[in-house]
Amino acid sequence: MTSEKKPGKTARYGMMIDVDRCTGCGACMVACAVENNIPPAHDGADDRNGITWIRVFQVDNGQDYPNRRSAFVPVLCQQCGKDAPCVAVCPQQAVQVDPATGIVGQMPERCLGCRYCMAACPYHARYFNWWDPAWPAGMEKTLNPDVAPRMRGVVEKCNFCHGRWHAAKQLAAADGHAIEAVDYVPACVEACPTGAIRFGDLNQPESAPAQAAKNGNCFRLLEKIGTEPKIYYRSKKDWVRQIASAPKPGQIAPKLAGKETSRG
Amino acid sequence: MNSTRRDLFKLVGGSVVGAFFTPAPWRLIADSALWSENWPGIPRPARGEVRTRFTNCALCPAGCAVRARCVGDQPVALMGVPGHPLSHGALCPFGLTAHHLPYLPSRLKQGPAKEAAETVSAAISKCGPSEQVAVLDLRPGRTASWTYRRAMASVKNGLYLAPPSPLGGSAAFDLQEAKTVLSFGAPLLDGWGTPGNVIAARENFRLIQAEPLESRTASLADLWLPIRPGSEEALAQAIANVLADRRGQGLGGAPADSAGRGQGNLAAVTGLTEQQITSVAEELAHNGPALVLDGGQAPAAMELNRLLGSLGRTIVARRETPVPEAWKKAAPVTNLASVPDGSIRVLLIDESAVDGYLPWGTIERKLVRDNPLVVTFAWSRQGYGRYAQYVLPTAVYPEVFDDIPPAIDSVAAAFRIAAPLVAPPAGMVNPSEFIGGLAGLPAKDALRERADAIHKAGRGTLFTYAGAQSTAVRDMNPDDFWKALNEGGCWLDAVDESGASHRFSWPANADDEKRSSAPPEDLPLVAITCETRAAAAPLSPLMSKLYQESNLRLAANHAVLNPVTARACGVAEGARAILQTRCGSAQIEISLDSGVPPGVVKVAAGAGMIDLCGGPGGHPTRAKVVVA
Amino acid sequence: MKHRGKIVFLAGVLIAMGAGWLGFPRAIYQSRPQPVNFSHKVHADKAGTKCEDCHAFREDGTFAGIPSLDKCAGCHAAAMGATVAEKNFIDQYVTPQREPPWASYARQPENVYFSHITHVKLAQVKCERCHGDEGSTDTLRPYQQDRISGYSRDVWRDMKMDDCVACHRQHGLEHSCLDCHK
Repeated sequence: MTSEKKPGKTARYGMMIDVDRCTGCGACMVACAVENNIPPAHDGADDRNGITWIRVFQVDNGQDYPNRRSAFVPVLCQQCGKDAPCVAVCPQQAVQVDPATGIVGQMPERCLGCRYCMAACPYHARYFNWWDPAWPAGMEKTLNPDVAPRMRGVVEKCNFCHGRWHAAKQLAAADGHAIEAVDYVPACVEACPTGAIRFGDLNQPESAPAQAAKNGNCFRLLEKIGTEPKIYYRSKKDWVRQIASAPKPGQIAPKLAGKETSRG
Repeated sequence: MNSTRRDLFKLVGGSVVGAFFTPAPWRLIADSALWSENWPGIPRPARGEVRTRFTNCALCPAGCAVRARCVGDQPVALMGVPGHPLSHGALCPFGLTAHHLPYLPSRLKQGPAKEAAETVSAAISKCGPSEQVAVLDLRPGRTASWTYRRAMASVKNGLYLAPPSPLGGSAAFDLQEAKTVLSFGAPLLDGWGTPGNVIAARENFRLIQAEPLESRTASLADLWLPIRPGSEEALAQAIANVLADRRGQGLGGAPADSAGRGQGNLAAVTGLTEQQITSVAEELAHNGPALVLDGGQAPAAMELNRLLGSLGRTIVARRETPVPEAWKKAAPVTNLASVPDGSIRVLLIDESAVDGYLPWGTIERKLVRDNPLVVTFAWSRQGYGRYAQYVLPTAVYPEVFDDIPPAIDSVAAAFRIAAPLVAPPAGMVNPSEFIGGLAGLPAKDALRERADAIHKAGRGTLFTYAGAQSTAVRDMNPDDFWKALNEGGCWLDAVDESGASHRFSWPANADDEKRSSAPPEDLPLVAITCETRAAAAPLSPLMSKLYQESNLRLAANHAVLNPVTARACGVAEGARAILQTRCGSAQIEISLDSGVPPGVVKVAAGAGMIDLCGGPGGHPTRAKVVVA
Repeated sequence: MKHRGKIVFLAGVLIAMGAGWLGFPRAIYQSRPQPVNFSHKVHADKAGTKCEDCHAFREDGTFAGIPSLDKCAGCHAAAMGATVAEKNFIDQYVTPQREPPWASYARQPENVYFSHITHVKLAQVKCERCHGDEGSTDTLRPYQQDRISGYSRDVWRDMKMDDCVACHRQHGLEHSCLDCHK
């Protein structure tokens, strides 16, 4: 759970997720839902139409019992670089890469719900509100005032807890700082009990994500398609790194025998 | 001159043209768009001053420290307290969403407290000479537990029952000291002990996980031993045999191998090779201090600790949190298994704080045959309310005012209060006041009396969350001590210098299920329950993220089979099926995974599942799966 | 008549424009008075209060907005003057400890994030720049609300997104949507 102040004027917020530390507990998933006023599942919801801005997938090495080995990979919006696919396809310009922070900001209030961005996103990190949000009676008192709830018909996704970013900027302003000095962590980073998720500014060489970018054990998902995501994953296990490049079914990667499967 | 229809059209045409030069149509378009976005029924979060309050989580004995972000007085987010000496800032998904629990729709809102009290009193007075009145406390070790024990001491034929605990409450596992940990299926990395403590200690030890399923702990362990279900005892015996062979290296005597099986046989039962077992045993012996943990209270596994000299090193005695002298006239803790069958006339179950549900069958047989009276104190009807005559509603965390007993990995005694963050609704019953009332005991100030007794004993320190500071208890006055405990604090005992570590005795672990050697033919599979925590605790609706809206955790009443086994049972992916055991049957939904061993059905514990599939720790149970 | 058609047409234009400019604003807004007849002027003159005394910032930088009953009751626990408005206020709100249901003229939609302290402290923007001369009025205007969208008339007048963007653009502070939206 780290973040660094940045002296420069722009930041590129990113993450380093240590797959070897992730126990698949799901604390990040629920903390995200609490922070961002994500509604609980509607009656017909399942893993295809539920809203989980961050979702932990269980991946395995494709072997049967007793050679099965699993790992847990949290996947959230990868905060792609300036050529983010979702930004390019939106007819409403409801998504934008923030030049000051590098966050790919999704504006549900501008979205018209065509879901083109969901098709464009190679990481399936975008979620559609199939239903109006509904909380059991009284539970709406527990909503976070820093984030606006969305109505049905719009797409939403992770934006690095911008509500917390706003609050941190406000705190800095109260102290008289300029808004550049921002010090915050998203909810998933704060909640992760093992510290598997680390947050920081890629423009700061000593931050966890920046160091991950140089580390040989670190990789990004689907690197070869050129989205330039800002989320780095780390694992010493070779088969986990293989999965990140999503080999085609039947394509045998050097150290594996059999298909990789993922459940999540 | 007459006005004609043409005039009318010209007038209307002029109006339309003119209208476009006014704000009206543009404004109406904008308003419609805005109206379509401000959908009624979308709640607006309340605004107000943001405050921070502290408490301790009462959902499990870890009792993690909680920092609540509140808008006004309403908690809107819960997080851990970084720097806490026990929980280190960690909070599990249940604790993170607990501020929703007061609003669960399935929550009981009222109950016949007065009528229940009268009925219970009448039944107690009418008890026969051999009939007993019992309180079953599903989270022993609390101050409320003492109230129950004191109450049962004053009631004729009163019994205080508690589920068995691995170390009997007077000792703890010291993970920080261990260099090698062998776990027989204990979910070390998935809800065991105090998660923050386990994570903090993880770098120090090498973890060997022996269990049939590739659980989360197994997938992250340094070594996973995929043993056959039910072969834990055999593995423990085999390891003991290896250790006994090295008696010359000062490891003490080996327990007799009661079945007289040779090492080869034992290895075959487990499914491992002799060499694997030998290497594990040698690692435990040479790479100490070692610790053996058990997930289902297998006595043989715990015996290994004695052989390895864990007592005093990785298993240490723990002093009891001080108790007022007057309270020590209390009924002893009785194990349910040692109660004669059919002898309990009145049973009061405190379900307001649950460590683990016992299968109803093990409780039911202890009740008298004709009209036993069962009263349960619970937040919903889903637990023992299905069998009780009276279900009295209790407050849920974060409304409760209760203390949390020290966790199994807390080396020092601890006292922490779950101070209420929100007020409970009217009509809730406080179980310790109710039960205390039966015996004429005032229980309202029990927590304060306990805190005063701790303060009087003068030992230990108080860690306050707001400032992350430790203060010696001696340096505080009782009122400040009490106030600090209520505003977010944790009392930790001082290190026990007296060296009492070696002098505690193992609790008698009655294993009431004799394990037969041959599997029954009619129940060819072994059912292993997982997600038992979810079955015991009230769940926030947001937990659907983990169970329903993703496949991260197995949803209740879902089961996983190996494809080979599924074919043998005649079920396919997604099929509805029936899981049958000796204790009953339940509907399940099947999914297939070749990572699950053949012959095993992995099933997620739902409300009734624990009754079906055995005790705490998810004991493997013989079962069969048939098409629905 | 020679130009009858054109005159009728023109009449239509004029009627529509009259309705649109004069009648429509009256129709589209519903208004209600504020619960208490509060005078900013009296408080500024007699009590010597500045904007920040009642419309305060908290320590974490959040804006407390319209003051709660505690702030008013701090001085008005008992009647300080002889006006009917004050007496009504004490009878209806202070004594029964009931929060007055103020209508906020400047309430933005839920998805808007506006930080008062950034504008007031860092950018040194004066209250009057956005809120007009509200602080020197003797009575509170009635609260006028758009019947269809539910927004206050003040927001429509000069607190729309375009107005914020214009000033931000002028100062070179236009970065991203996330700056102002939540």
